[in-house]
Amino acid sequence: MHDTMHRNTVDPALATRVLQLRYWQHIVNERMKKGTTKMAVHMALGYEAIATALRSMMGPEDQLVLTHRGVAHNLAGLDKLDPALDEYAQASTGISAGRLGSMNMSNPSRGVIYVSSILGNNVSVASGLAMGQKLTGKNGIAIIATGDGAMEEGTFAENLIVSRLLNLRLMILVENNDFAMASTIAERRKPIDLKSVCAGYGVRYELLSGNNVGSYADKLKQIRADIIEKNLPVVVEVSLSMLNRHAGATPGWPGDPMQVDFFKNGLIINQDDTDPVFVTRSLLDPDVYRDIEEKVLAQDRGFLA
Amino acid sequence: MTNYITGMNQLLAEHTKAVPNAFIFGQNINSGTFISGLSKNLSAHETSHIVNTPNCEYSMCGIGFGTMMNGGRAIYYAKQLDFMLLGMDQFVNTLNYIKVAPMPAELGSFSIVLITCDQGFQGPQSSFNGFGDMCSMARFPGFPLMSKQQADMVLRTQLAAPGFRIISLSQRLFRNEILDLPILASAPDCSWFQYSDGADATIVSFNFSLPQAVELRQKLEEKGKSAALFQVSFAEKYDWSAIARSVAKTKRLVVIDDSKSVHLPGQGLISDLLESGQSFQATVVRREGVDWGMTDDVMPVDYSSLLTRLNANG
Repeated sequence: MHDTMHRNTVDPALATRVLQLRYWQHIVNERMKKGTTKMAVHMALGYEAIATALRSMMGPEDQLVLTHRGVAHNLAGLDKLDPALDEYAQASTGISAGRLGSMNMSNPSRGVIYVSSILGNNVSVASGLAMGQKLTGKNGIAIIATGDGAMEEGTFAENLIVSRLLNLRLMILVENNDFAMASTIAERRKPIDLKSVCAGYGVRYELLSGNNVGSYADKLKQIRADIIEKNLPVVVEVSLSMLNRHAGATPGWPGDPMQVDFFKNGLIINQDDTDPVFVTRSLLDPDVYRDIEEKVLAQDRGFLA
Repeated sequence: MTNYITGMNQLLAEHTKAVPNAFIFGQNINSGTFISGLSKNLSAHETSHIVNTPNCEYSMCGIGFGTMMNGGRAIYYAKQLDFMLLGMDQFVNTLNYIKVAPMPAELGSFSIVLITCDQGFQGPQSSFNGFGDMCSMARFPGFPLMSKQQADMVLRTQLAAPGFRIISLSQRLFRNEILDLPILASAPDCSWFQYSDGADATIVSFNFSLPQAVELRQKLEEKGKSAALFQVSFAEKYDWSAIARSVAKTKRLVVIDDSKSVHLPGQGLISDLLESGQSFQATVVRREGVDWGMTDDVMPVDYSSLLTRLNANG
């Protein structure tokens, strides 16, 4: 539980963004329920804190590589929702001119360079981007957002070896949502101690948990500075709870026990620390939170019509 | 006499050194056997880097593409074609994305330089020579290096050109004298080369079969016949117009392909020419079957029968 004595300990701008990402994802989810958005988007409800924090610390030359579940990170790079919805509608006004859809939607002008739906495929591409930055004299870092499923692929270990060998400025963000191809870790393998794995390869490891966007942002900012100073990769594991089904709308079928209903329940899905919006609310004075929520919800109502 | 591997290595060293701001990498690239001599004497432009890498073929292919996406020049020296089967996901999925998505910078280059292990006695594994199959799956160009002049042109124009390609040597030819064949004409993208013109037959070689094509042309000349000789690289889209003009004149087309693949681009050539209404005699020299066990891997060519079919034995 969060101590109410520490209210307003999070930057209102970060809190606003967390709520906006949640709201925008609710809009996408509700549109998929209605059939207004026909594409089955791989939602990332529950990723709002890490997506906001990561975006807040990115420098102008940083480059982000995502997976098919990159929606929260992609939305975090946008000022408005329309280009994403247009992309889902395969319209020429979409972020990627309607050519890449949901699973490969990129946005180079906002640093989202490569988005792959192939498990593990993008880790080495991120290493290559970091190498390209070295060759072309850029001053940013490459960030690869991968997951607890993709780290089972051999290429994950290969890139720990190679990124260290090549002194790459690479942040390997392992978004551990205990979910891969619709199975939990316990359903598909024995636990992996990623900290020990990284130690074995001589790569620094950091863990983020708790969904506090402010502390995530501070920690990531420091890690980014260290990556640039030392020219070495860092693995950052973040514990997440995914609050939606694998792809498409949630609930996914009649009688689905997983319920996401914006009209009935509002922004917050889980009344506990697994929900970044719940955590953000607990960090703010109730009046401040209410003001932020009202401001966020006053936008984009037309998309829910 | 300069043998094939020595001559090709000299050209590779010369053209690789000319590429600025390049990331040149590979397993054993500057140690051990120097990739069977492929990367011997390699040096880098003062702004480029040569890095010996671990055995991570799949990831090294991804790194090549990432470097290219950021405008860098990546050159990956690899031991053999079948090792690149591990990179197929990158060749297909990552490259397809690059073809469609906006890039953060002007597209750089990514070239893989390797050896096709077609020398025989490799056993059931490590004898994959279906270079065209690999290129076809993702529609990227592939260049078998065959003659001194053709290799020089390919390396000069393609090694650091924007985009992705694979450039391959044939291990079967390593100890042979390097082919010294002046080029009569070629496509700007090196997708085809013409070595001679002729009136009696059009010979088109694919994969690593140029030596057999040259031998057939020689045997025809000994019979008083002249042949046009072409070598075709693997391309995203083939332009057959130069070959079509030759076939319109000779009325005889011989396609030679030493690949073990079922699907041969030369059969597409014949099909396309027939569809365009051309009338000609077509002959395909290919492997009748493949012994996947320990063999010499040589594709037999019955030149006597070929000469008879081409009306040159009379």
